[in-house]
Amino acid sequence: MSTVPTTATVQDTSSHSITHHATPTKVTVHPVALFSILDHYLRRTNDQDRVIGTLLGTRTDSQVHVNSSFAVLHSETKELVAVDEDYLRTMYELHHKVNQKDVIVGWYSTGSNLNTNSALLQNFYTQEIAPHQAIHISLNTGLEEGQDAGVKAFVGSPVGVSSKPENCVFVPLPVELKFNESERSGIDLLTSTLSSPSSVATQPTADLEVLEQSIQSVSDMLDRVLTYVRSVLSGEVEGNQAVGRYLMDTLGAGADDLEKSGFNASLQDTLMVSYLANLVRSQAEVSSRLALATAAS
Amino acid sequence: MAAALAASLPAPSAAPVVAAPTFAQIPSSMNHLVDVEIEIPVTSVQLDGMVISKIVKHGRGGSAGGACGLLVGLDLDGTLAVSNSFPLPNRAFDDDEKASKSTTRYQASMLRSLKEIQADDSVVGFYQAISLGAFYTQTLLETHAVHQERLRHGGIVVVHDVSPSATGKATFRAFRLSKAFMELYKKSNFTTTGLMGTSLTFSSILEELPVTIRTNPLLSSFLGVMSQSDDTTESSGSALCPNFNSLNLSTAGTTKSLERIIDSLDAYRNEENNLAYISRTIAREKVKVDAALQKRKDENATRVAQGMNPLPEDDVARMFKVPPEPSRLESLVLLGQIDAYAKGLEETAGTSLVKMYAAKASSAV
Repeated sequence: MSTVPTTATVQDTSSHSITHHATPTKVTVHPVALFSILDHYLRRTNDQDRVIGTLLGTRTDSQVHVNSSFAVLHSETKELVAVDEDYLRTMYELHHKVNQKDVIVGWYSTGSNLNTNSALLQNFYTQEIAPHQAIHISLNTGLEEGQDAGVKAFVGSPVGVSSKPENCVFVPLPVELKFNESERSGIDLLTSTLSSPSSVATQPTADLEVLEQSIQSVSDMLDRVLTYVRSVLSGEVEGNQAVGRYLMDTLGAGADDLEKSGFNASLQDTLMVSYLANLVRSQAEVSSRLALATAAS
Repeated sequence: MAAALAASLPAPSAAPVVAAPTFAQIPSSMNHLVDVEIEIPVTSVQLDGMVISKIVKHGRGGSAGGACGLLVGLDLDGTLAVSNSFPLPNRAFDDDEKASKSTTRYQASMLRSLKEIQADDSVVGFYQAISLGAFYTQTLLETHAVHQERLRHGGIVVVHDVSPSATGKATFRAFRLSKAFMELYKKSNFTTTGLMGTSLTFSSILEELPVTIRTNPLLSSFLGVMSQSDDTTESSGSALCPNFNSLNLSTAGTTKSLERIIDSLDAYRNEENNLAYISRTIAREKVKVDAALQKRKDENATRVAQGMNPLPEDDVARMFKVPPEPSRLESLVLLGQIDAYAKGLEETAGTSLVKMYAAKASSAV
């Protein structure tokens, strides 16, 4: 242990009040940040009850977008909590190099235990990124008995006559999972591993397979709707007007724009494209073989 | 305080003798797995769920040069398990030497940091986000070749196609440079004879490795909770709602694919013209050399007949400069690109045919 990193005792921080910017009212979290937290939790040492780390993201006036996270080394006992400040700085700089927009917005911990140490850490992070307010995300891994997996977000608010760093009320904030539409397929890929027994999915999947799955799920949904409608018709269940309205809107949309001539033209185009693609491929193959053959002659 | 922290930190490279509580005996069936001497070739690649989401996220913010990063992980019994990844900074803006130095520093620093939190810290390859299936680029091959020399098992490259992921299909494919290519690369001998000797075509530059995607139990339970909660709660906010992008009938991507194919065909034609020009020059020069040589020989014959010493013949060849045979790597790569585009187009066309018929059938009902 030759290189013991310099540590900062969070308790030492002075307790002067900070002029806060507008308190965030909503937090959005990118899945990557959550996945990293889970991975970090998996890799914790035996004597660690929880792991903490830094959240990176962007903030607007009232919202905080958490885009990624990284682990931070820390140690805590009943009285003390220490974070490796050097490590935090280095990691932040590394992340900042790749993604310049992301700044520190707060910190995370696993488990839903908010104690004095959490208050100290909250104070530490709030001072790191002053004048903005740090947010805290607690991710419950759902491993402990009787606790559900879930994500909660908080901002700290000072409490008491004289504000001390260890006194803090964690005010919950609404939190939302947010990702770009184009990342959707990646998430789908991961959820598809849920259904397989060994949590494994193979790649690459063919286009047609994906299509088949989609059609299958649509068909399942139609079945569900059909059962519901039948049970309403037979009087077993009382019909929900809102649901009926949605069904009407959804199923009313027909494929009228796909009239005969349009279909045929489009079909010809697609067939042409397919033919062309095949032609190009075989030409490419022939050309590469010819390159070898001409040399032989 | 420091002691308290030291206790919680991982002891770096602690000798196994010291840290030996009772380890279970490794079963004899596993012995060949832990033998570090045996070279077990990598036969498949396993990507962790986190890596998938990291690559997808990085690819979305895709810069012009394509997002690129390093993969870290371990290999066991022929399966290369990629457990983490980190993006590399985009170095399009700096000048080369400075940028490559700072990238190296960044890499080393990142790996050290990963080690400190007990993550895997051995680089096993890199990933590259591409669009429309065109992963054959010379830079990719060169980067890979450089990695190949440095890494155990030669390293792999995972390509993630950005464009189809918008339409409901995320693709990850893993590749490794073939031996034939490496042989030629080391000698930088991409001449026609070199290619002929190894019968290298664009399809044999890279070997594809099967990819599996694995989510660890913690992640899959968490995902399970996330995708489940939308059935019970009214607000679809934090939940994952189903996605039907793959049912989209529009064929907007086709135009772009066609454009790309035409572009690379043009590029290929240019390259072929260049090659043809160079080979014509070579042929012309060779004819000149031969003529000069023949002339010298005739001269010598007459000189010998007249009883004089013959002139040396080898300096004739030196009077002419025959250009070296051109490298055909570029044209190979371009062909590979054309093929990849066309393959992508073929697949899109195929599925859109199916979708059209399906839509027609359902509208007829």
